Amino acid sequence: MVAVISMLVEDEPGVMQRVMGEFTRKRINVETIVVGKCERDDKARIVLSVTDPAKAQAVIEHLKSMQEVVEVEIVDEMRHEAYALMINGHGEARITGTIQEIEAIIEKTKPEKYIRTISAL
Amino acid sequence: MKGAKVVVELLERQGVEVAFGIPGGVLLPLYDELVDAKFRHILTRHEQCAAHMADGYARVSRKPGVCIATSGPGATNLVTGVATAYMDSSPLVAITGQVATGMLGADAFQEADSFGIMMPITKHNFRVTEAKQLPKVIKRAFGIATTGRFGPVHIDIPSDVFVTDVPEKELDRDYPTPGPRRNLSQLLDAVKLLESSERPTILIGGGAQWSSAGPEIIKLAEILMAPVVTTLMGKGVVPDTHPLVLGVVGMHGRQGANYVLHNCDVLLAIGTRFSDRVTGKVSDFAKSTKIIHVDIDASEIGKNVKGHVALIGDAWTATNALISGLQSRAIKQTEWRARIKAIKEACTCDFDLPGEPIKPQKVIKDLSRYLPEDAIITTEVGQNQMWCSHFLEMNGKRQFITSGGLGTMGFGFPAAIGAKVARPDKVVVDVAGDGSLQMVSHEFATSIQEDIPVVVCLLNNGWLGMVKQWQKLFYEKRYKATTLGKVPDFVKLAQAYGADALRVEKASEVKDAIKRAVKSEVSFLIDIATDPEEDILPMIPPGKKTSDTIYGRCKFKC
Repeated sequence: MVAVISMLVEDEPGVMQRVMGEFTRKRINVETIVVGKCERDDKARIVLSVTDPAKAQAVIEHLKSMQEVVEVEIVDEMRHEAYALMINGHGEARITGTIQEIEAIIEKTKPEKYIRTISAL
Repeated sequence: MKGAKVVVELLERQGVEVAFGIPGGVLLPLYDELVDAKFRHILTRHEQCAAHMADGYARVSRKPGVCIATSGPGATNLVTGVATAYMDSSPLVAITGQVATGMLGADAFQEADSFGIMMPITKHNFRVTEAKQLPKVIKRAFGIATTGRFGPVHIDIPSDVFVTDVPEKELDRDYPTPGPRRNLSQLLDAVKLLESSERPTILIGGGAQWSSAGPEIIKLAEILMAPVVTTLMGKGVVPDTHPLVLGVVGMHGRQGANYVLHNCDVLLAIGTRFSDRVTGKVSDFAKSTKIIHVDIDASEIGKNVKGHVALIGDAWTATNALISGLQSRAIKQTEWRARIKAIKEACTCDFDLPGEPIKPQKVIKDLSRYLPEDAIITTEVGQNQMWCSHFLEMNGKRQFITSGGLGTMGFGFPAAIGAKVARPDKVVVDVAGDGSLQMVSHEFATSIQEDIPVVVCLLNNGWLGMVKQWQKLFYEKRYKATTLGKVPDFVKLAQAYGADALRVEKASEVKDAIKRAVKSEVSFLIDIATDPEEDILPMIPPGKKTSDTIYGRCKFKC
């Protein structure tokens, strides 16, 4: 089982250290991590996966209480090749699937802004 | 306006009355502005004590305590004090100087990564790399420290930031801190559980202290006819003299309090994180008890103990909500409720022990009797702390201040000085051990030079008593590195700083020594020769159950 945590954070020096410090203290080994600029200006998105869903659940409230963490959510789907978060006039949409599926959906829907992570989950 | 002036101006606007600190190379521009500051600066003798003093000040005034240290060693010395405040959710704003931004990361003289070091022991911390960030950072720091669950906030300021100009209009911008998310949606579930409970118990922790919820908790207890027990951090929130209050729970807790904690069917836990010192072996804790967990910090729910019902909010608000929910409901008299008086009586003993060497229990008894009714009592950590926790009588007006979470030896004396700064009209007493006091005894210099008189009641047994007790009980008396001997002569030590001091070797002399000390115009040390063989019992050994309790003199039967 793998749990995927997606969080929106301030795009500032030190944020990764603070977030990862929480995983260190809770003895959670992070399997994969992708971080970078995202759909919102001045913010960054961290998408990471951990092997223990119960531990992921336990760390969520601690992440939420951090000043630089804007949003945290657990992405339900497991073991997919790719994840994308897309924004258009209708709001946000989150999808997971194979690389081909994600590419096809992005191609088809042409969102105003999107981020995608490949082979990260 | 120069960065240093901006810092001072913003501290003044935050209503800061006092800052505790020690200057250093990179702080010179800031200290130059402090010459004309409207608030007091107290020069301590060690940065750790600056943080403890700010912490003691904060716990009494309920306003953020401010401490200042220089870069490198100043910042690292501050760490223990900041971590202590973090573990006990005390609001601090800790300011450290830093080497100039151009030197950062170059291993410059007196450079340490204080931003990285402070990160896991603060509620939040900032590194200011541009002077124009100062207004936002300082306003946010005070906001974060005092919003929701309180905590220390650290600000690291490089030396060049202090001398860089900031446009004055920047100082007027507001940077509000959003309040915590309150969630009382399970209130009705909590009310129903409490209403139908046969054997309810209320456990209160430090959250009730910070929220000043004592009178409301007593009102709720009276409605429920439920006993109230406290954690170490909750001691003093409710008066021990009240018939429903059974005292402190846990490893060295009152047996009556532990009995109701472990035998209730519904536990209402308010502002407590279920520390291991409260639960003992956590897998055996409250297995058949339904827990209603009230906490201002959502991340505490389910962290150590799984609750059944959660109310997210401050202790005062949640308690009032429970009162209004339960007020009109008929609470039935049960056998449990009828027994509370008997349990309290069974847990009452005469600990006014005579004879020499003086028993620590006797000293605590005399402190309970002869300290002013609104005294502030701080403790160090170890046996001295547990004697106070178990035996010191709180009447609802006294305040009890201790390092509960981090367990920092050397906390009590500087915290007492900070408390006295917050309330100069009150008698402040540090109950100390000889091991703890030696870690911070240099602060007599601060108390004399700054005219901040406190009383140090030293339980001097010549040992690191608590560690010795564990070596005695669990390591077959193989004592190692726990004897301190008869050095120093504490009376001479205190006198060398200009404090007054008295040695007490007879039990009958404790009373007069306390009466003299509380009237002293300067700091006063009572050096009491206590019995090194008297262990703090009863005790539930670490990680064990109540059935494994070592009783000692305790005759509790229930």
